[in-house]
Amino acid sequence: MVVLSAARWVRSRLSDRFWRVQEVLKYARHFRGRKNRCYKLAVKSVRRAFVRSTKARREKKRFLRALWITRIEAASLEHGLKYPAFISNLLKSQVELNRKVLADLAIYEPKTFKSLAALAQRRRQEGFLAALGDGKEPEGIFSRIVHHHY
Amino acid sequence: MTGRGSPSRFLTAVLHNGVGRYVRQLQRLQLLFSPTAADARGARQFVEEAAQDFARQHPDVVLYVSPHKGPGPAPVLRAEYLNGTVREELIASKTSEEIVQLATKLANQSGLDIIRIRKPFHTDNPSIQGQWHPLTNKPSILTVQGPRLQPQ
Repeated sequence: MVVLSAARWVRSRLSDRFWRVQEVLKYARHFRGRKNRCYKLAVKSVRRAFVRSTKARREKKRFLRALWITRIEAASLEHGLKYPAFISNLLKSQVELNRKVLADLAIYEPKTFKSLAALAQRRRQEGFLAALGDGKEPEGIFSRIVHHHY
Repeated sequence: MTGRGSPSRFLTAVLHNGVGRYVRQLQRLQLLFSPTAADARGARQFVEEAAQDFARQHPDVVLYVSPHKGPGPAPVLRAEYLNGTVREELIASKTSEEIVQLATKLANQSGLDIIRIRKPFHTDNPSIQGQWHPLTNKPSILTVQGPRLQPQ
């Protein structure tokens, strides 16, 4: 007798349900409450956790930049400069350090940061002299622009 | 796949490998295959052609070739590292060149876990000028103690 399809009363039953459940629960073990133990609750929570972790990657960049700015602001206030003045005068002196590096310098190399703050302060003064002075004083040294021809 | 849901580690070298002499972290490579199975053809070609060259180029790795008779499990390349990690890679239906590439990749790895590395850098001495503390930029009169500070 040729049988082309399985008889309708034969069911195929899962044998690795335990491991399929563990695949989901392993990401829920640090959750609070029953959703770290019960599969039905964990499935929803794990899916939401993944979605949130995907979206948070964009916000992590914003969050870290805000943290760096806070730290640079605190460090430059210690040296008597406000954050906008510090950053703008550093850029005008062609010191193109990003906020991450400036924050690390402020924590680990405080003397370097102090010299950067002094540079920004001096450039600020030269800017005021150039704007408010009568043109009789010579141009500032740190106001000179160096042109790189690459 | 979340930060706290899956394990993560910091970037390290095993016992500061490379600061002095570089010690290859791969201890032995075991090539387990069947001499008759069809998907182990690449493994057999590797053993015939490229295994000797590979063993000569990597003198500190021991290469074991273990053919098992009859139909058995899928052909596998098992790498054991000095810190005890064992890593198995399937070589079923792979060509000899691909197996050579795979073996070189395993030989250049250390046995540390392949999980998310939190930062792509690591230093033991992050600060040269002294890490900032609240008294770094304050006048030194606040920190100095002694009889010389008495008003004269």
